[in-house]
Amino acid sequence: MTENPFDPVTLSKIANMELRARLVADAVMSGIHKSPYTGSSIEFLEHKEYSPGNEIKHIDWKVQAKTDKYYVKQFEEETNLKSYLFVDASGSMGYKSKGVSKLEYAITLAASLAYVLLKQSDLVGLVCFSDGVKQYVPPRSRLSHFHAIIKTLEGLEAKGQSDTGAVLKEFAEKISHRSLIIIISDFFDNREAITRQLKYFHFKKNEVVLFHILDHYELTFPFEAITYFESMEDERKILADPKTIKERYLAEINRFIEQFKKTCLENQIDYWMIDTSTPLDQTLIQFLARRENVLRSIIKR
Amino acid sequence: MISFLNPLLLIGILGAAIPVIIHLINKKKAISHKFAAIDFLFQSNKRIYVKFKLRQLILLVLRACLFAFLAMALAKPFIKSYGAGGADGKTPTSSVIIVDESYSMQYAEKTNTLFHSAKDAARNIIGNLTKDDKAAVIGCSPANSKDVPELEYDKEKLTAIIDDLHSGYSTTDITSALDRAIEILIADEAPVKQIFIITDLARNGWDLQWFQNGQQKLHNNVACVHIVDVSEGKESKNVALTGLELRNNAFGTSGDISFKATVFNYSPDKIKNLLAQVFVDQKKVTQGFFNSEANSAETKEFCFKVEKGSHFGWIEIPDDNLITDNKRYFTLNEEQKIDALLIDGDPRTNIYESETFYLEKALNPAREHASSIKPVICSVQEVEGLKFEDFDIVFFCNVEMLPYEKVWELEKYVKEGGAVIFSLGDKVDSSYYNSSFGSLLPHRLHTKKTFSGNTLITEEQPLHVKISGETHPVMRVLFEMHSTMMSSINFYQVFYLDPTPLEGAKTILSFSDNTPAIIERQVGKGKAVLFTSSIDRDWTDLPVKPLFVPLIQQLCRYISGSVTGDTRHETLVGQSWQFPSPYDAENLEMTNPEGTKTLLSPQVIENEKYFVYNETHVPGIYSCIINDASQLKNPFFFPVNVDVLESNPEKIGEKELTALMGETNVTIRSFRSGERREVVTGEAKKTLWGIFLLLVFGLLVAESFISRK
Repeated sequence: MTENPFDPVTLSKIANMELRARLVADAVMSGIHKSPYTGSSIEFLEHKEYSPGNEIKHIDWKVQAKTDKYYVKQFEEETNLKSYLFVDASGSMGYKSKGVSKLEYAITLAASLAYVLLKQSDLVGLVCFSDGVKQYVPPRSRLSHFHAIIKTLEGLEAKGQSDTGAVLKEFAEKISHRSLIIIISDFFDNREAITRQLKYFHFKKNEVVLFHILDHYELTFPFEAITYFESMEDERKILADPKTIKERYLAEINRFIEQFKKTCLENQIDYWMIDTSTPLDQTLIQFLARRENVLRSIIKR
Repeated sequence: MISFLNPLLLIGILGAAIPVIIHLINKKKAISHKFAAIDFLFQSNKRIYVKFKLRQLILLVLRACLFAFLAMALAKPFIKSYGAGGADGKTPTSSVIIVDESYSMQYAEKTNTLFHSAKDAARNIIGNLTKDDKAAVIGCSPANSKDVPELEYDKEKLTAIIDDLHSGYSTTDITSALDRAIEILIADEAPVKQIFIITDLARNGWDLQWFQNGQQKLHNNVACVHIVDVSEGKESKNVALTGLELRNNAFGTSGDISFKATVFNYSPDKIKNLLAQVFVDQKKVTQGFFNSEANSAETKEFCFKVEKGSHFGWIEIPDDNLITDNKRYFTLNEEQKIDALLIDGDPRTNIYESETFYLEKALNPAREHASSIKPVICSVQEVEGLKFEDFDIVFFCNVEMLPYEKVWELEKYVKEGGAVIFSLGDKVDSSYYNSSFGSLLPHRLHTKKTFSGNTLITEEQPLHVKISGETHPVMRVLFEMHSTMMSSINFYQVFYLDPTPLEGAKTILSFSDNTPAIIERQVGKGKAVLFTSSIDRDWTDLPVKPLFVPLIQQLCRYISGSVTGDTRHETLVGQSWQFPSPYDAENLEMTNPEGTKTLLSPQVIENEKYFVYNETHVPGIYSCIINDASQLKNPFFFPVNVDVLESNPEKIGEKELTALMGETNVTIRSFRSGERREVVTGEAKKTLWGIFLLLVFGLLVAESFISRK
């Protein structure tokens, strides 16, 4: 059987993060990732009748001369999207059953997304956090900026407790409107605080994408022997008989996922629940394809 | 209080630690796993964790209990009530303590006898009673067979009773003691009634027949029977003198005594050159050596001479663990010569056909000087020249008639203490006899009766002797020894007697048609005996039967007054001794081996006067002197020996015992070690291993149910 090169495990064998990200991004990118937002671009899109508030510099005087009407030029803007990648590097992200940890998956995903975005000349910023901001790379659009992102990601370690809500709150005022906010986390956190911030981002017309990364074992809980389960973020531990609690656990985690998904749906947040055993290219393809559709529908509106 | 049959198996309780250890090991070995979604585990586990912990704990306890209960069940627990009141130690109890005091309890391997241990055990039991407990102490020898004491609260009194107990020389009779114990307990209303039997478990003490009814009686009235085995379950080694068969001078030389002594080796080892010494009148007369295999007997004959008269003696073997049965006593009564006059009413030229031929041979079977009876034969005509008073016995053998003066002399002779025996024949005229010897004849003659036989006069079958439980001293020994021979004697002609009996007449022997064959009557100081057939072979074949000689010998000794009771018949400890009272005896002075004198008065038993002595509690020689108005006779003796049944140390098996007890709770324990060897119960509530096994089963079910869940 041929090995899927985008399988997280296979990918993890590639030591170079940049190479990993590019491999994924190049493979999945169709090159049609376009910005839905207008701006100063070199490609003319169409004319629109002037209305108060439109910038005067965009009035096409030639058309005015011919038609005696004021039209403003509209351009197809491709590069002006400001994206923020929030990568959760708390202790819980370090969990891996087999293959790659959630953090490793998140890092590769983040790098791939950054590459895709940078290739589209978008501004890409990176926020690595746990209970506070660990690393922050401000948004830039240069491709060379990718190295800085990769370097930051490579240095990440899953450590500390997570407080996603607080970190998002911290960035809420810094992030200008209409930005793309991608949060990659397991969201084992204060769900209400997160939800509150997500609603706020949505309110500020930001486009929010959540990548909810969960390990396969977290989703299936295939343990059998009596086990001491130890917390990855604090000193808590619990002795449990997996056979006894499996049913209840699965119910709990599914309820959590469903509630998260529901919240996202209500707030028009793009929610992606990702099992770390899922090949990364598949995740990206699906994401980009859906995103393309969404953008187009937004533009048409 | 709970006790255990197999206490060693209680070590198995440590097995209860196994689940705990496994639990601890597993706890240590529990996989440690870092898990991110631990919050969900906490949420899920919040209730389940408590349940899980609880379940783990329950399983742990169940498994530990399972091991512990299994070990306890195998250790066979039961409620201990031994000497400590009720099972709970609070319930008042009534106890009867039966102490085996038979002579087998005198068995001693070192210094202490089993009986000492038995008394210690009894004191122990008394010591363990609470103030609310009552008890009674009884022995189980036949001497105590009517001893039914009341239950006592007073422990000091009970201890004193135990102190006063002494081991006797009798056999064990546990079952009669059980009867008495039940009788004592049956009237009592204590909630717990129990019987303690302190014994060496000798088999002979247990009458197995008794348990057919006694088993239910025990079960109905007694909560528990505790058997304390003072022999500690050990095999006893005993060598005993078990038999002594005297064969004196009936056919041999006068004064020559021979007897056979039997030694039984009850020990598992062979005995070699065991010295046996014979003493007569406290002087050693002979000795011999016994060699016997394990559990087998050997018989040896001892011969010696004694002077005429009454003697006593014993044979003894060296002391062993049980000394009581190493000595057996005997007495010898070498009678004085009896002079008998045989008046032949039908003398013949051919002596074989003479009336007295067989009688003379019977009285003096061997040489003249060898028999104690000296017969003198004379014809009717010769009688006139003889004096009856020169003879001890006068036989009238088919005598037709006697001169008048001799009839008168005969009457005087008998009344002054002489003895006459009439035997009949074809010369006898009943009317003459009735008129001439009427004052002497025990019964008046009636008619002659002929039965079938040689003459075939009638078709009737010959008469036979009636076999019955005769108690007449003449016949007692003969019936015991020769009852089968007696039935073969044929009588073809007999004289029937007048149906009206004379006063004082006693039948010695009857025919099968219940008419008298030999009848006696006390006449003055003397005795007259009538034999209703002929003394030769004319009317009967008795003279050629083996029984004839002992019958005639015994009859002569009896009527001449030289039968000193049943001297050959061994009297055993505890048995009643009876002696026919002479005509004018006032009393009998009895001296037992310990020197205690008792004066006995005659008692009438079945129209016969007897001296009866029941206090034969000690083996040895008992001396008797009969006091009468006219003379003081020389002392004579009789021996009392221990019953050899008790010498046999064979023990009753514990399983057999518990089976005998049926549904009654039984505990059997050794006294010294206190080891409980066997417990059998008919009621589950008394023993606990059934409950424990049930618990184990329940725990297994619960464990599998909970662990599966």
